[in-house]
Amino acid sequence: MIIYLLCLVLFLCGVYCVLRKRNIIKIIIGIIISEYAVHLFLILLAYRLGGRSPIFSPDREITNMVDPLPHALVLTAIVIGLASTALLVGIAMRIYEKYGTFDITRIRELKR
Amino acid sequence: MSKEHDKGMSVIVKTITRLTVGLILLYGIYIVLHGHVSPGGGFAGGIIIALSFIHIMLAYGKEVAFKKLSKSVASFFESIGAILFLVVALLGFTGGYFFLNFISKGEPFRLFSGGIIPICNIAIALKVGAGLFAIFVALVLLKFEPEKKG
Repeated sequence: MIIYLLCLVLFLCGVYCVLRKRNIIKIIIGIIISEYAVHLFLILLAYRLGGRSPIFSPDREITNMVDPLPHALVLTAIVIGLASTALLVGIAMRIYEKYGTFDITRIRELKR
Repeated sequence: MSKEHDKGMSVIVKTITRLTVGLILLYGIYIVLHGHVSPGGGFAGGIIIALSFIHIMLAYGKEVAFKKLSKSVASFFESIGAILFLVVALLGFTGGYFFLNFISKGEPFRLFSGGIIPICNIAIALKVGAGLFAIFVALVLLKFEPEKKG
């Protein structure tokens, strides 16, 4: 049970980073941290006590294996996370081109 | 020193890159081709293949990397990957339904087994490898038009 709470703490670290920091690059890093906390939580849910990895091999009989479905889900989530992170970095570069800063409090033109 | 060694990083980095980049590319192809019998598969192998080209670009500069894999060729491979995956899925309609495994399955745990799954892995590897290389090129090299404020 404590390990799920540690997962929640990692997620809250990412949320704090998003809400509190002013640099756009740090906000993107916070989003990535909270995303990876969710991945870690799903992988931990899939674990069974004493289970081995769900890979068929000709020389060993599989008796007790971990659940492979969240692994496939997390693999897809990593792909989506890569694409969305690339989009976020592209938007951040565009903001820097236009306003010359990464500080979100100095982007005045957005308020008009 | 030849002319193409003027740009890029130092001699140490270039030498290590020249020695290792072929091994990285071969390892990526190995991961793709063994995707249906061992961990790995199209996505991981495609990432490793793209990293070998990014490695060349980081060490030697963009001219040498674009001589190996230009932007139009990367775009072509990305489109070919998506179309190949769709065609393999649509060919299942010859036997009945979408994603039907119409090639013979072969013997398990062999390299040539699994029916259409290795072909799908190769398509995913083309798409992901060319796509990641294109993302890197777009983020690092392409310049935006300077825009007036207000």
